[in-house]
Amino acid sequence: MSPEIFFQIIVNGLFTGGIYSLVAVGLTLIYGVMVIVNFAHGEFLMLGIYVAFWAWTLMDLDPYVAIPIAFALIFGLGALIQRGLVQRVLDAHPLNQIILLVGVSTLLIGLVQFFFSAEPKAIHVSYETAVISAFGLRFAIARLVAFFASMAISLLLFIFLRYTRTGKAIRAVSQSRDAARLMGINVNFIYYLTFGIGAAITAVAGVLLAPNHRMIPTMGQGYSVIAFVVVVLGTMGNFIGAFIGGLIIGVVEAFAGFYLGGDVKIIASMMIFILILLFRPAGLFGRKST
Amino acid sequence: MTTEIPTTSSRGPIRNWFRGVLLDWDRTQMLICFTLVGLLALAPLFISSTYYLGIIILATIYAFIGISWNIVAGFTGQLLIAQIIFLAIGAYTTIVLFNYYLISPWVGILIAGLVAGLCGIIVAFITLRYGLKVDYFALFTIALMVALRTLFLKWDYVGGAVGMWFSLTDPSLDKMIFATKAPYLYIALGLVVIGLLIQYAIYRSKMGKYFLAIREDDDAASALGVNTARYKMLAVVIGAAMAGIGGGFYVMYVTFIEPPQVFNLGLNIELVMAGPIIGGLGSLAGPLVGALLNKPFVEIMRGALAEGRSGNSLIVYGSFLILTIMFMPRGVTGVLHVIYLKIIRRFTNNPEGDN
Repeated sequence: MSPEIFFQIIVNGLFTGGIYSLVAVGLTLIYGVMVIVNFAHGEFLMLGIYVAFWAWTLMDLDPYVAIPIAFALIFGLGALIQRGLVQRVLDAHPLNQIILLVGVSTLLIGLVQFFFSAEPKAIHVSYETAVISAFGLRFAIARLVAFFASMAISLLLFIFLRYTRTGKAIRAVSQSRDAARLMGINVNFIYYLTFGIGAAITAVAGVLLAPNHRMIPTMGQGYSVIAFVVVVLGTMGNFIGAFIGGLIIGVVEAFAGFYLGGDVKIIASMMIFILILLFRPAGLFGRKST
Repeated sequence: MTTEIPTTSSRGPIRNWFRGVLLDWDRTQMLICFTLVGLLALAPLFISSTYYLGIIILATIYAFIGISWNIVAGFTGQLLIAQIIFLAIGAYTTIVLFNYYLISPWVGILIAGLVAGLCGIIVAFITLRYGLKVDYFALFTIALMVALRTLFLKWDYVGGAVGMWFSLTDPSLDKMIFATKAPYLYIALGLVVIGLLIQYAIYRSKMGKYFLAIREDDDAASALGVNTARYKMLAVVIGAAMAGIGGGFYVMYVTFIEPPQVFNLGLNIELVMAGPIIGGLGSLAGPLVGALLNKPFVEIMRGALAEGRSGNSLIVYGSFLILTIMFMPRGVTGVLHVIYLKIIRRFTNNPEGDN
């Protein structure tokens, strides 16, 4: 393998991994605060990409302009799902929580399939296939933007959690629900907020995929599985772990795709997942923090 | 199957036995189940449409698979989300034996149960050896399903992406191929009866009590001396073997199989999870009651609302799961139980009813 190909694979892997990071950060945020595995997580990405498609067909909006629309819409939906459904099973048997979220996932897929049909759709923009060449490597514009936007959003979220009052409240709730409540934090509000943010940034990841990615209603399931892998790899509830885990899985998949072929690359992440679950279930960053 | 219902003139021991059944909720559930099975057995006499019979047969198969999942998820509370793995393995085993080795499905289905049970042992051994927590266990099974789907897509021996099928041209009993629908229904009902009896036997046994103890509190059960790892494994293996047998019959009925069809979370929800959850997870009558509500209702919705749009059945399933968890977490059987308790209380308080 020539160094060009080697670095090209790494670049491709990191570009994919950036999206994985963003999705996984959303999942890990929800898990960290509510200790609930969001089995409907990939569906928010799917909704995001369909919001972009909808904005593009209806109003001829560029996908990148649709980012705030998707963020606002899916934030509302996420908060609503938390308030109306998830909130009521927070103390129930994990089986009930998972069945509920599997139900939400099925319902969302069904609704999108109903309104947009199961046919693959795509957005066509002028920069769809545009490529920059530098250092002997090729960078697809849309994926370059997606990568840096993912990084930026993760960083913003990190700063938000770290330094703002609300962000500190979220971290406090993730450490101890009862103590946070005693300190006067409106725990339920934090829950709505967290689920909303987790869902919304995942939807933004979907919008970032929109310029050069076909969409089908069931595409979220694959991303759910990847997000589970990433989150377990980077320790459940660990923000930085999810971020780095996403990049790792992206690169691993890129190499697996190169050696094994595109369809089989998922086997590589599944093997990592199973090995991590078995030998280091606490993940790479087995120290709990948000 | 309906022999448990005494004739009108019978008095004495049969009547007392019947009273005993009705005063015990578990046995009442079994009575409900066998009444339903009896009614289903009469269906071919009244329904000639192959379309409706087909729905009934699928609902019956769903009931059997639902029972297998009920034993794992309902009794021991293990989140074996992707139970459909074992169904797929059983189905592939049966059709490979049938197509390549000309082994009769009657034998093939039993071998399918063995193979699926063996896979169950492997899965249970790996997950228990490393003590996976509940949600990690659920994720593990989903990951396994995704990995197996890719593997089967690339595995040419089992047809790869094209899948496997057989032709229905030569009906005969030993090939388990029939010209009419009725024999399929009776085989499926036979499976359900066996499944119900196994489920009841487990429920009544000491093992069943351990299962329930593990579901309620794993650590407490362990502290009280229950070998939780062993009983969790037993539950997975029993569930897997039954799902394998169900899968073997499923493929003989639908006549084809391909990886995206079976290694699929959507079908997993429809076939494995929806029935027991709607009917009442962990109850005896839940899987059968749920499957009989679930499949026909979705088919009616599919027919009534189709209008060229897809996604209806997913909307229905999603809403079913959400509404069940929100409003009746113990399912239809749970609601029946509440009604039953009211009736029994009235019945036992009233000396008139006690003759």
